[in-house]
Amino acid sequence: MGRRWWMKWYSWVILVAHVFAILIFTRGFLLTRTELPYYSHGSDISQSPCFSSTSTNHSWNKPVVDRLVIIVLDAIRFDFVAPSVFFQEKKAWMDKLSVLQKMAFAEGSSAKIFKAIADPPTTSLQRLKGLTTGGLPTFIDVGNSFGAPAIVEDNFIHQLVENGKRVVMMGDDTWIQLFPHHFNNSHPYPSFNVKDLHTVDNGCIEHLFPALYQDDWDVLIAHFLGVDHAGHIFGVDSLPMIEKLEQYNLMLEKVIKVLGSQSEPGGLHENTFLLVMGDHGQTLNGDHGGGSAEEVETSIFAMSFKKPPTSIPSELDTSSCKLDLDGKKKCASSIQQLDFAVTVSALLGIPFPFGSIGRVNPELYALGAGTWNLGGINARDSSNLSELEEWLLNYVNVLCINSWQVKRYIDVYSASSVIGFSSEDLLHISNAYVQAEQNWANSTKNLLLHRNERSHTLLPALTRQIDFYFSFLSNVSELARSKWTEFNLKLMGIGLGTMLISLFIIFLAIQRVNNLYTTSLLSPGGSGISFELIFAFFVVAIRACSFLSNSFILEEGKVASFLLATTSIVRLRSSIMKKKMLFEALSFLLLISILRFTIEVGLSKQAATSLFLSASPSWVLGVAPGHPLWTYMAEIGPILAVILLACLLCRTIANSIFGGLWKYITMATILSYVLIAVYWGAESSIPTLALLLQGMAKGHIPRMIYAIGLGQLLLFAVAHLFVKDRELDYKRSLVVKTVSILSAWSPTIIILSGKQGSLVALALIIGGYCIVKLESVEDSDSDAIFTFNPLAIAQWNLLAVCLFFATGHWCAFDGLRYGAAFIGFDEFVLVRQAILLTIDTFGFSHILPVLALPFLAVCNFLFGQNDHGKDFRFTQLSQMYMMYGLITATTVTVTIICVTIQRRHLMVWGLFAPKFVFDVVGLVLTDALICLASLLYSGRLEDDDTQAVQRTEQ
Amino acid sequence: MADQSKKEKENLSKSISAPQAFLIHLISGLGLAISLWVAHNFYSINLVSHPSTTLRLIWIVESAIVILIYSRFRIDPQQCSYLKAVVRGILALPVGALVNALGAIALGAPIGIQYLPKTINWSLLMSSFTVAPAASVFGSSWTYWQRIFAQTKPNEPLEYMICIPAHGAVIGGWFGAWPMPLDWERPWQEWPICVTYGAMTGYLVGMLASSGFVLANGRRQRLKED
Repeated sequence: MGRRWWMKWYSWVILVAHVFAILIFTRGFLLTRTELPYYSHGSDISQSPCFSSTSTNHSWNKPVVDRLVIIVLDAIRFDFVAPSVFFQEKKAWMDKLSVLQKMAFAEGSSAKIFKAIADPPTTSLQRLKGLTTGGLPTFIDVGNSFGAPAIVEDNFIHQLVENGKRVVMMGDDTWIQLFPHHFNNSHPYPSFNVKDLHTVDNGCIEHLFPALYQDDWDVLIAHFLGVDHAGHIFGVDSLPMIEKLEQYNLMLEKVIKVLGSQSEPGGLHENTFLLVMGDHGQTLNGDHGGGSAEEVETSIFAMSFKKPPTSIPSELDTSSCKLDLDGKKKCASSIQQLDFAVTVSALLGIPFPFGSIGRVNPELYALGAGTWNLGGINARDSSNLSELEEWLLNYVNVLCINSWQVKRYIDVYSASSVIGFSSEDLLHISNAYVQAEQNWANSTKNLLLHRNERSHTLLPALTRQIDFYFSFLSNVSELARSKWTEFNLKLMGIGLGTMLISLFIIFLAIQRVNNLYTTSLLSPGGSGISFELIFAFFVVAIRACSFLSNSFILEEGKVASFLLATTSIVRLRSSIMKKKMLFEALSFLLLISILRFTIEVGLSKQAATSLFLSASPSWVLGVAPGHPLWTYMAEIGPILAVILLACLLCRTIANSIFGGLWKYITMATILSYVLIAVYWGAESSIPTLALLLQGMAKGHIPRMIYAIGLGQLLLFAVAHLFVKDRELDYKRSLVVKTVSILSAWSPTIIILSGKQGSLVALALIIGGYCIVKLESVEDSDSDAIFTFNPLAIAQWNLLAVCLFFATGHWCAFDGLRYGAAFIGFDEFVLVRQAILLTIDTFGFSHILPVLALPFLAVCNFLFGQNDHGKDFRFTQLSQMYMMYGLITATTVTVTIICVTIQRRHLMVWGLFAPKFVFDVVGLVLTDALICLASLLYSGRLEDDDTQAVQRTEQ
Repeated sequence: MADQSKKEKENLSKSISAPQAFLIHLISGLGLAISLWVAHNFYSINLVSHPSTTLRLIWIVESAIVILIYSRFRIDPQQCSYLKAVVRGILALPVGALVNALGAIALGAPIGIQYLPKTINWSLLMSSFTVAPAASVFGSSWTYWQRIFAQTKPNEPLEYMICIPAHGAVIGGWFGAWPMPLDWERPWQEWPICVTYGAMTGYLVGMLASSGFVLANGRRQRLKED
């Protein structure tokens, strides 16, 4: 009794360990911000405690500039723009954008260079989202960032359009993906051909200069891609890069000249603001996406054509200055990209985006605020002081609105999000806000009302007020960053460690089972390591290692079918060697070849929805669709397959070992199959068939099938619990149980998978049959470690993986077949539809293969070892399940390791994270099914045990 | 006299000496190198720019060399003339190509009209690495084929020389397929270029290994005789 109790509990222990590990890891890994679909409106301002600066209710604050030119230079490093004195040594690519430096450091100029710090992931699309929404990256939206990623959150482009500003865009077509309906006029150019350095840039320049003479826009966005592409292809320290920078320099010089020439009072660009900015930096090799300083540090050059700008109090000045060789002072300030959206909104006087958590940057804001012609801060004459006060007052008011808007967002977010902030953090933020508000209400407002009387105290009061707001806003952004964008490495480490420990436990368990039986069964002299074991290990290891590269994850289905074909070729070789099972080996190979094509068709579907696979049409077989024969076959084939399945099942039942309740359970499946055939017939586009079956209420058929399946499972449970199956021996009862549970599951899975379902089910049966048959080709060498064939289990696993991809799934959220969730139902109920979707997604790849694993064990019984007891067989079966679990857990563990390594990778959210989610769900499901199987297939071991105990006692 | 020469021939076919083995492998290797060199210098094509033409050139040269040389070492010189051995080698070439092509397709080689010539030429090259020499030497003797290709249990120098390079070519081609899915966007990642590189590398390594085996075998033989 004692030696096997742990085998029953072992699978549960593993399940719990895996769930724990995954939960811990996920908490540390996934960025869990959810997007809110709320938008700011002009009228919202009446709810704020701040002064409304204008009489109309629809403007949040007074616009400071009228027109805005944003020139985005993709992947501009900070050292492209900043003067080389800021760096240890002058490199070839520095000081090339000399016109910006000239403008920024000219006497009395109204231009400034900022170091802009981005939040990773530093990919263009993510950064454009961050720049326009003023928020931090999220997981779900980046999950489908390669699909159709229109921004659903509030952003300043949306606000511009809402407030009647006309926006013109030219350059990178990512903008069009993000804002499909927002631009008055757009000239997009494809951004995907990295080798093309010039098309986008030349197109931009072609449209930019005519536009600068037009008055039909308020905001102009020109996005240049040349530097990004030059970096990707040639690296930073290369001639093409320097040529690009020189080209940009000429372009910018011309832009500034054109704008400057029309900036006289009454001119077209009298109150125009120019921003030249990068969306992210790049490393010296031209890579970006991660969080290293080179990648996150980019630059913003801001210039107003009003002269001179506002000087702001020194407390607000963040600039750092260096002396160059001539002893001239050169300064550059610093800004977070998070602050960009709200600052631009403030400059243009539009409502701040709802989800923005940035603050209005004083220096950038002051640059635009050239309308207040102020002298130096040190000027002591009263008129200047009052003008400075005027500016500060305005700025405080803007900050007040800003803080109110951020607080509103945090409140709404905490109320509506599943994983919000901890109450402690919220309290901290609230305190900071309340403090600022009280100060505003109590002291500053009073001061302002009576400012004529006590002007000397006004300036410090305003500064103090600004400090309060800053402290609140920085608290919020700090908290948001730590909660939303930073990986918690400690938690990730704990999760990974637990995973590794669980692997070790499984390994020990397999070892222990072996030790139980090696003494009784196997000759101790053998080496124990067979070729099969090494080869199985090799295959699993290759598959696991392939997850290190994004390309292999993308083509995971092909990798799996490649490995499966390799194993089957090895099997074919040994079957030629033994001169038996040649037919099975060949048909298995044929089956894999067919599966391979269906996998490629699935991949081509993926390519259609996502851009980044469109480059490989070559792999796809060009089948001419539309031929009537094809449609006829496509309609009839699945129905025939279902009928074939029913016949197969009929024959199986006819076997005498099926008796009593089991027979009825299995027979119900035949009814389900017939229903499926009728349902598909009614759906088909072949008129005669459709007419024939039109009369039946086809909406009810899927529900009937689900109900039958559920009923079968219930009956199964009853039969398992209450029907004594003593008269059957263990092998027979195992076969009967396996067949009945598979037949209970299969109709539901088939109908959810659509018409391919029955064909895939046939493929699974044929594949399983071949694996089972071929398993016995190898001699069970007396010195083998295992009493079963490890390669067969690896093949079983690979076949399951192949079926996942062959059924048209892939590891991304757009790879879910949402249509499956609505078969038989029209309305959406979360739990019901989620269950259906899960069954569809994992049915063929997890549920059926795991439950069908006993066939492998049964086959082992057939070929020898018939003298061993039920006890031995159960042990063998559980060892097989352990092996299967070990293979699955190993691949998932490696996925987790890869995700950890690649957490700053360009495609971590597009590829690695969805893969992680799918794998992890699959692992938990596999573990749960193994637990279920250990319950179902254990038989009446207790009786056996007691007998054994009695025997020993006697 | 005739008897003597027959005996000599039989000896020759039965046990190949180490220098001979070296020479055969050297010629096969040189054949590969020369055909690549000719393709590059005379036709100014290479595997990357014109895969199927280059492959055709390589397999024609290589199969000619291999069939002509290995036919001399046929196992049954009494029943089978040199010419017959050459003919069966040539006949086996397309059959082996078919087997190789089917294997490649099962493993994931693209099919489609634009890939057809490449696949055909590649599989003919693979066939001249693997099947053609074996057919010239063993003919249709199933036991030999089974021992060499299914069991991988070569006994004598000649079998080593056929078995190891053939396995090397197949395994090399298998590994050569690995870079194909990577997103480096290099032209050589196309089917069947990197697979061909892998197969040729595997073939060369296999020939080196088989030379080593033949050498070791010869030494063992000599020790036994002493």
